[in-house]
Amino acid sequence: MSKPSVVVVGSGAGGAVSAWAYAQAGHPVLVLEKGRNLLPGIGGPGPVRTTFSNDEIKESRFYEDQDPLLEPRTQRTQGEAGRRVARSYVGDVNDLATTVGGGTVHWDAKVPRFWSQDFHGRSLHGPVRGADVADWPLSYDELAPYYDEVERQLGVQGDRTRMPARTLAQAPRRHPFAMGPNPPMVAGTRLAEAAGQLGYHAYPFPMAVNSRPHLGRPACNSCGFCSGFGCPIHARGGAAVSFLHPALRLGAELRDRCFVHRVETTRDGRRVRGVAYLDRDGRRQRVRADIVVLAPSAIETARLLLMSRSNAHPDGLGNRSGQLGRNLMFHYFTAGLGYFAEKVHAWRGPSTTFTLDDFVGPVTGAPARRHGLPYLKGGVCEVGGGVLLLDEARLLADAGFRGTALTSALRDLALRDHVAGIQLVGEDLPQRSNRVDLDPRVRDLHGFPVPRVTHSPHAFERAASAHFGPKLREICSRAAPGGLTTTLNDQLDALGEASGYFGPYATAHVMGTARMGHDPRRSVCDGHGRLHDVEGLRLADGSVFVSSGPGNPTLTLMALALRGARERN
Amino acid sequence: MPSMGKEVTRRQAVRTGAVLSLLAFASPTRVEALVGETARARGAGRFLSGSELGTLRVVCDRLLPGPPRDPGPGALEAHAPEAIDLLLAAFTFDPPLIHAGGPFSGRAGGARDDFVRFEPLDRQAELGWRIRLEGSRGRRSRQFAGPAVGYQEIYRTGLARLDALARRRGAASFATASAPMQDTLLDLEHDRVVKRMADLALVQTLEATLGPPEYRGNRNLVGWRRLGWAGDRQPRGWSDAEVTQVDP
Repeated sequence: MSKPSVVVVGSGAGGAVSAWAYAQAGHPVLVLEKGRNLLPGIGGPGPVRTTFSNDEIKESRFYEDQDPLLEPRTQRTQGEAGRRVARSYVGDVNDLATTVGGGTVHWDAKVPRFWSQDFHGRSLHGPVRGADVADWPLSYDELAPYYDEVERQLGVQGDRTRMPARTLAQAPRRHPFAMGPNPPMVAGTRLAEAAGQLGYHAYPFPMAVNSRPHLGRPACNSCGFCSGFGCPIHARGGAAVSFLHPALRLGAELRDRCFVHRVETTRDGRRVRGVAYLDRDGRRQRVRADIVVLAPSAIETARLLLMSRSNAHPDGLGNRSGQLGRNLMFHYFTAGLGYFAEKVHAWRGPSTTFTLDDFVGPVTGAPARRHGLPYLKGGVCEVGGGVLLLDEARLLADAGFRGTALTSALRDLALRDHVAGIQLVGEDLPQRSNRVDLDPRVRDLHGFPVPRVTHSPHAFERAASAHFGPKLREICSRAAPGGLTTTLNDQLDALGEASGYFGPYATAHVMGTARMGHDPRRSVCDGHGRLHDVEGLRLADGSVFVSSGPGNPTLTLMALALRGARERN
Repeated sequence: MPSMGKEVTRRQAVRTGAVLSLLAFASPTRVEALVGETARARGAGRFLSGSELGTLRVVCDRLLPGPPRDPGPGALEAHAPEAIDLLLAAFTFDPPLIHAGGPFSGRAGGARDDFVRFEPLDRQAELGWRIRLEGSRGRRSRQFAGPAVGYQEIYRTGLARLDALARRRGAASFATASAPMQDTLLDLEHDRVVKRMADLALVQTLEATLGPPEYRGNRNLVGWRRLGWAGDRQPRGWSDAEVTQVDP
C-alpha cells in the first residue's frame, strides 16, 4: 500500500525540510512554489547551477524577490487601525524572497539556537501587560535532536569551545559543529576584543556557511556579497541546496510559479482534501493530497487560511480560536556603529563572523521597572557588519547628499571601508492586535486580496532597545576610539514607526499568526504543527512560533518543520 | 487623443522593431556594439529623444559630478545617463536589459563574462517590469492594484517640467540655466513631477555609475576605480589575510 500523498506549499526553509523528510519516508511529495526556479539543475544528477552573482543592481531589481507591484502588501499601525484607517502604506512589507528555496536563497545563514527559557516564557518570567506571552507546547530538549539533524544537513560552522557557559547551559549541544569558523573578519575582531574588555563574551557566530567543502559544496571565499545575495558558488547552505535538492532526487516533484490560493477540505471541514492553485500559465488547477503542509511564510500562511474560509470554517480555516493572523512578530533591530580610522572593510566576509549573547536577558529590577515592565529582553548580536558600495551610496543619498557633497563623502568618508557595527536582534513580544488579515480593497495580480499587516511595537521592545543600545555604543566607542559612534535606536523615533532601516519593518524575521499550543481554544495548531481542527493539514513555517525568541529564527523553524514531518499523522 | 509622448514612444517602438530581430541572433558583444552605434548615430537614446537625453545628462552631472567640479570621474564619464536610457528601453532587447546574468563576470577569475548575457523574464516577471517601466497605461491587466506611473513617464514628464520651470525663470532651457538655478529646480520638494523624477534619477545615477558595467554604465570601470572598489569578487573571493587584516 502506497504511503499518503503530500503536497507542500512553499519551497523555502520549512517547505524544503518537510519535503525532504516526507520523501525520505517514501511519501509521494509535490512541492508548489509561487516563485520562479532560478537554480537550474536542482534535483538533477549533476550539480545545482545558479545565475546569482555579486551584482548590487540585480539584487535591488526583484530578481529573486517578490515584486511589490504584482504582489503588494498593505500596512498600518495599531493606532491607525483604531481610527479605522484601512491602510497607510502599500508595497513591500517584510517581503521574503519568492523563488525556489525561499528566503534562504539569500539569507544571512546565521543559525543560533533558541534557548531553553524561550520555550517557557510565561512560566518563567510571567505575563506582560498588553502582550500575549505564552509557553510553547514543547521544550528545548524535545527540539534538540532536530536541531542536530538540521545542522548536519545544512553544514554549520562554529566553535563550541568558545561559546559562553550560559549559552551552552541554555542551549546544550551534544555534538561539535560540522566545521570550524570562517576566517574572522577584522572589524568583527576589533569589536569582539572591545566587547571582551568590557566584560562581554563574543564568539564565532554559528552559521550555515561552509568553511571547508561539505556535502559536495565548496568552502566560502569571503566574497562579501552575502546577506541579501544568492551565493554564486553554493558555499552557503539553505533550503534549496541542502534539503530540496536531495528531496527531488528522492522522487519529490517541484512545480514553480504555482500560486496556491485555497486549501480544500471535506464538506464538513474536518479533513484536508488538497489545494487549488494557479499554474505558471494562470490556469486554475486542483490537486488532491492526504497531507497538506503549508510553508509559504507566516504572513502568507495566515492569508491562505483566511482565504480558505468555508461554511464549516467561516472565520478562516482552522480559526476556531480566533488566533489566526494574530500575534504577528518581527524582530526589533537596534544597531551601534563605529567609525574606524583604519580600513576595516566590514563588508568583506559572510556578513559577520562574531556574535555575542550577553544581551539576551531577561533583565529585571530597576531597568525594567523604570519602564513599568516586569523584565526586559534583548537578543543575540551580529558583530562587525558593514555596507557595500551601492548600499553606502543609497544611504548617503537618503540622507540628503547630492553633488560634490556626495562625491566627496563617497571618496573621503568611505563608510564601506571605515564603518562597522553591532546589530541587536531584539525580541518582539506577541500582541493580539499585531496581526495579518485580508485587505478589504487591494488585490494582487491574480485578483486575490493581499495580506494587510497591522503592527506596532510594544513598550517592551522600545524599552529593551533603549536599555541595550547604549551598551552597543560603548563597545563601538571602545573599538574605534576617536571615531564617531551612535546607536540608531534614537533615530527610530524621529523617523517614525515605518522606518525603513531599523525597528520592526526592516526585518525578514517573520513569525506568529498561527501559534502552536496544547489548547485549541488558544492556539491554531499543536506542537507538531497539526491544525487542531483540520485533520491532515499542518503548518511548517514561522507562523507556528509562540514567541520570537532572541535571535535569527530559521534554524528553529527548520527544526520544528522536521519534527512535525517526522511525527506521523 | 493620444499625447505627444505616447506617439513618440510608438514611433520609437516601430523604428527599433527591425533592429530587434537582428539582436535576437547577435552575441552579447555585438549587442554592446549596436547599443553604442545607435546612440552615437542619432544623438538620441534608445528611449529618450536627443533633447531629453541632453537634459538628463545635466541632471546626472548635477547629482554626481565629475571634472571640473570634482577631481574624479562622475556620472557623465561613467555614461550613467545612457545606461538609464537603456533601462527605460529595456524591452527593446531580448532578453530585456533588466537582470544581468551570472554567476561570474570574468573580472575576478572565471573563464568568461556571464553578466553580459541578460536573464530572460518569465510572463509574470515581465508583467511587473512592464508596469514599472511603461506604467499601467489604463490597461486592466496592469491596474489590479490601481493605476501606476512608469519610469518612462516619470522621466519624460520630469525632464519636460525642468525645461518649463527654467524657461519660466528666464533661461532658454534647463540645460542652459545657471548651475545654481539647476540645483534649485532639482531640489523643488513641492513640485511632485520634478521630485519623483529627481529621486528616481538620483538612485539610478548611483546604480549606473557604481554598479556592474554590463548595465552599460560604469564605463571602463571609472565608478569603481575612482573609489578603489574591487567590484564583484567571485569566484576568486578574498584571501584569509585580506579578510582578517586591515587594508593599507
